Amino acid sequence: MKQLTYLLLALFVLSCNTKEQSKEAETSAVQNEIALKNFDTEAVNYIGKEVRVTGIVDHVCKHGGKKLLLVNNDAQVHITSEERFSEDLIGSEINLIGIVKEERISEATCLQMEEDNMKSHSEGMSSDEQFEAKKKHIAEYRKTMVDSGKDYVSNFSLEYVSLKEKETQNENEADSKVE
Amino acid sequence: MKTKLIRKWSRILHRDIGFFFIGTTLIYGISGIALNHMSDWNPNYSVTIEHTTIVSSKLNSEMTKTEVLEIVDNINYKHNYKQHYFPNKEQLKIFLKGGSSIVVHLPTGNTTTELLKRRPLIYESNYLHYNPNRFWTWFSDAFAAALILFALTSLFMVKGKKGLKGRGGIYTLLGILIPIIFLIFYL
Repeated sequence: MKQLTYLLLALFVLSCNTKEQSKEAETSAVQNEIALKNFDTEAVNYIGKEVRVTGIVDHVCKHGGKKLLLVNNDAQVHITSEERFSEDLIGSEINLIGIVKEERISEATCLQMEEDNMKSHSEGMSSDEQFEAKKKHIAEYRKTMVDSGKDYVSNFSLEYVSLKEKETQNENEADSKVE
Repeated sequence: MKTKLIRKWSRILHRDIGFFFIGTTLIYGISGIALNHMSDWNPNYSVTIEHTTIVSSKLNSEMTKTEVLEIVDNINYKHNYKQHYFPNKEQLKIFLKGGSSIVVHLPTGNTTTELLKRRPLIYESNYLHYNPNRFWTWFSDAFAAALILFALTSLFMVKGKKGLKGRGGIYTLLGILIPIIFLIFYL
């Protein structure tokens, strides 16, 4: 009985490790690497394809943990996932592979967003500050549409495939700047 | 005779499986309340905000890592440094181990430190509530099945005026009506 328990535990640990290793191998296999600062302009060329990006995890969505914001000095990219991200990733520099997704925001989307915003505010689900911020956000979408001459705004994000955490440099090492 | 047997087994299953799942029930109960109020509080961490002002001529968006570490050291968190970046020319964000962070307004030196501390018991309960791996999926499925079993066995456990034909029946009906009324009004 004892041996069986050990065997089951060993199998369980092994299965977890195998999964992790195969994800890491996948991370190094993807060739399309986009610098975070070029993501918004280059993502259009990779819609539906896997790309690799590197950045710092600014935050993990506390409502479910399935969204993550990857940042650096120049830009930020939203990552979505079917799995939950660990909150321990916050502040870590990661190398992430994801599939480029495009979301098109049109006038119809803006109207729907306005309606949702008013509904959630009137039901007390959002604060005055959140309500105003959302209104401003919708106005920005409309302005971008007018400025670009298009009837939609493209929002690019990545759907998580795998990630590898970069080791944090020792404080005595390179006196480097974040790039 | 048959009813007696059903009652007997309902009591046995309800009692013994109930004992087995006491821990799991508490986990889902505690985390259920904690996560239900996510918009009002951080269910995983207690958050403390500290404000200070740093006086330094080195505060700018071209700072080196050593200079950033000096700032962290000034507010006594050097040993917790994890990473930093500049969200814009006027801001420096420093990440500390354990999810805490410091935001420095570079033109004024004003800093806001957000210190996170895991809520004991609730953090672990929430972690399990979010179904961390396949093993837990199976276990929580078994727990869900047990909840269905508890509901069904409770119908047969007590007879007479405290049972389904009396007070128990009224409570059962009320418990079913409340979600239905809610759905009528809000769906």
